Amino acid sequence: MTTASLEDNPLLEGLEVRRAPDPCILVIFGASGDLTKRKLFPALYSLAFRRLLPENFAVVGAARSEETDEDFKERMKEAVQENARDDFRDDVWELLADGMRYVPLDFADEQGEDDLARTLTELDQQRGTRGNRVYYLATPPVVFPTVVQAVGKRRVAEGWTRLIIEKPFGHDLASARELQQVIEKYFDEKEVFRIDHYLGKETVQNMLALRFANGIFEPIWNRQFIDHVQITVAETLGIEARADYYERAGAVRDIFQNHLLQLVAITAMEPPIDFTADSVRNEKVKVLRAMHTPGPKSVVRGQYGRGYIEGEEVPAYREEAGVDPQSMTETYVSAKLYVDNWRWADTPFYIRTGKRLARRETTIAIQFKRAPHPPFEELSAERLRPNVLLVHVQPDEGVSLAIGVKVPGQGMTIRTVHMDFLYGGAFRTGLPEAYERLILDAMLGDATLFTRIDEVEEQWSLVDAIVAAWARDRPAFPNYPAGTWGPTGADELMERDGRSWRRR
Amino acid sequence: MAPEVSSTAALASIREIEREVAMLRMAPGSDVPYQRTSVMTHTAWVPPEWVEAAEDVLAGLAERHPSRTIVLVPEPGAQDGLEGEVEVDVFPAGEGREICTETIRIQLKGNRASAPASVVEPLFLPDLPVFLRWRGVPDFGGAAFESMLGVVDRLIVDSTEWPDLRASYAQFVGVFERVAVSDIAWARTSRWRRQLASLWPGIADVKKIRVTGTAAQAELLAGWLRSRLERPVELEHEEADRLVAVDIDGEQAPFPPGDPPQPADLLSEELDRFERDRIYEEAVRSAATASPE
Repeated sequence: MTTASLEDNPLLEGLEVRRAPDPCILVIFGASGDLTKRKLFPALYSLAFRRLLPENFAVVGAARSEETDEDFKERMKEAVQENARDDFRDDVWELLADGMRYVPLDFADEQGEDDLARTLTELDQQRGTRGNRVYYLATPPVVFPTVVQAVGKRRVAEGWTRLIIEKPFGHDLASARELQQVIEKYFDEKEVFRIDHYLGKETVQNMLALRFANGIFEPIWNRQFIDHVQITVAETLGIEARADYYERAGAVRDIFQNHLLQLVAITAMEPPIDFTADSVRNEKVKVLRAMHTPGPKSVVRGQYGRGYIEGEEVPAYREEAGVDPQSMTETYVSAKLYVDNWRWADTPFYIRTGKRLARRETTIAIQFKRAPHPPFEELSAERLRPNVLLVHVQPDEGVSLAIGVKVPGQGMTIRTVHMDFLYGGAFRTGLPEAYERLILDAMLGDATLFTRIDEVEEQWSLVDAIVAAWARDRPAFPNYPAGTWGPTGADELMERDGRSWRRR
Repeated sequence: MAPEVSSTAALASIREIEREVAMLRMAPGSDVPYQRTSVMTHTAWVPPEWVEAAEDVLAGLAERHPSRTIVLVPEPGAQDGLEGEVEVDVFPAGEGREICTETIRIQLKGNRASAPASVVEPLFLPDLPVFLRWRGVPDFGGAAFESMLGVVDRLIVDSTEWPDLRASYAQFVGVFERVAVSDIAWARTSRWRRQLASLWPGIADVKKIRVTGTAAQAELLAGWLRSRLERPVELEHEEADRLVAVDIDGEQAPFPPGDPPQPADLLSEELDRFERDRIYEEAVRSAATASPE
């Protein structure tokens, strides 16, 4: 027999070799929570459905509630049947369920930690998972340091360990640094995967494809051709059953600090030299560092009052269950930001997010400068609508370009039309859920779509400055009815600059 | 199920076909056309005996590749003429929006069957790749085949449909420098190739393989091993309608995981490829020059 190694296996040439994760155990802390049910297990099922999980694989759910393995499996089966994007197949589920365990765990009690360690060792032996661990922290943030310490102290010598941490990573810069100090005691930065699930969305990644795989956009992607950028993350939903969390977080910590600033970074970043984790994140962090703190007049906050969503009357934020009737928590925030670098100097980025807005949409709108001198007698430059490149992150995932065209007939009347690319139209394979991509990437050790600690720190620095300014005044909340586009102050923010928010 | 708008009129010219396509793209009761997002033109050369099989595959394909499909049915024995039919299928694309795809079926009668490129070229979607699925053995050197090779970007065949394999492979080699090719028979072996590759380095000195599957799969697998390993590999073939077993020097290789892909899946995957498959080309060259079993 030959002694040739696997690296020079000539039979692999030309074969599409799928990135396959090493054998491992995924441990989900917070397994009784909503995220596990609605997102994590449906994502795991979809990965199993496509045979993307390692052959030697196990999932351990850990939470405070008492539950048997069988109860846990049954509950997760229902969750998958209800929430997965793929058809439910018994054979796929059985494959996944075979490696599922549940460990009741209270971190105040060493017994639970011992049980978990024993279960993991048994699974290593039974399923050949070689000591490789992915720990998913889907618990309330307040428990993060405790979980990190518990996991860190019991790291096994064999295999690799990765830590996936849900947002929010801290509630301000100081708490983020505190949490980071705990993490650093036990884990290297390469082992830490901070989730911002927006980065796992296909359409967000498509922004990178759009910018860096097309020669036509990059030359005009700068202050010379772009008038301004508008980024909107709008929800029609209220706070659902998350009053406890939302009262403390508000829109600025829930969406602005992470999703919105990441969308700004991806829109404004310089081309990375390659698509490795550090190259991409180096460029993103430069954008975050280049953003200067907006003055108080450049930030507007709001809170919804009663109003109508889809024709149905909905309560005011202060009337939601669990919310302080005098609450000053913001459910809306918009801001004008500047990225102080050669490419973007003086080009405003208007960003907004809110709950109970008129429509659910996440979009990035690049508004170009108007044509300087239209040579048509009937038409002044002011009447020409500017070109807008609109990236629809959700829903209607795709890209639209607004251009002016001649209306058929006499004279020269120009009308704006949209050229649309709809993801669902060109690729009908169904877009993977963000959590599928992110869980798989963490198993593969690819941190490109996760946020690095320096990015998180820059994001918190900006948010801390905004929140500090808020301490000096007390706006009259509520200041926008549910089902509208937010407070009038947000419109005034744009009008002062002679601009207006997009309405579709 | 997607609503479907279909033309019933027999269309006798390209102009009539174009007009019909434009008309059917208008949503009923509206002056706004359905949205169309196109990634390619898919052309299929389908002699009458292959029509049924081709329609089955197209049915599974239309929704996944929403582009223009042109099905050419040659009838050289008939009186000269074109007979076209247009079908527009509309699929929901979320949030109340709809996307349409077009299928144009053209019977090429009499002499029209020998110059098909001149019929289809005006119907290609501009600036997008053109794929040609050729059903049955290509008419190597014939006017119809040669004319089509000049206007397409990728030729897709299924050598399982070829009766005299080695001779056909020998002729097929001549096409490689002119257009990128795909072979569905080769695509059907990919799970097994991945499985056999996983047996490295144990498989490096293989002397003989026994393949239970179609003749094309057997020839291509043996050709692949010979070309990749640069050594003679003897082939023993047992006929079966699909690839079910491969023995390496008398020892059965483990069955690959997963379900075998469906015909529409296989064609769909080939429609996503743009580059030459040099590994396949070498396997075919090797299969074409192998000594008989």
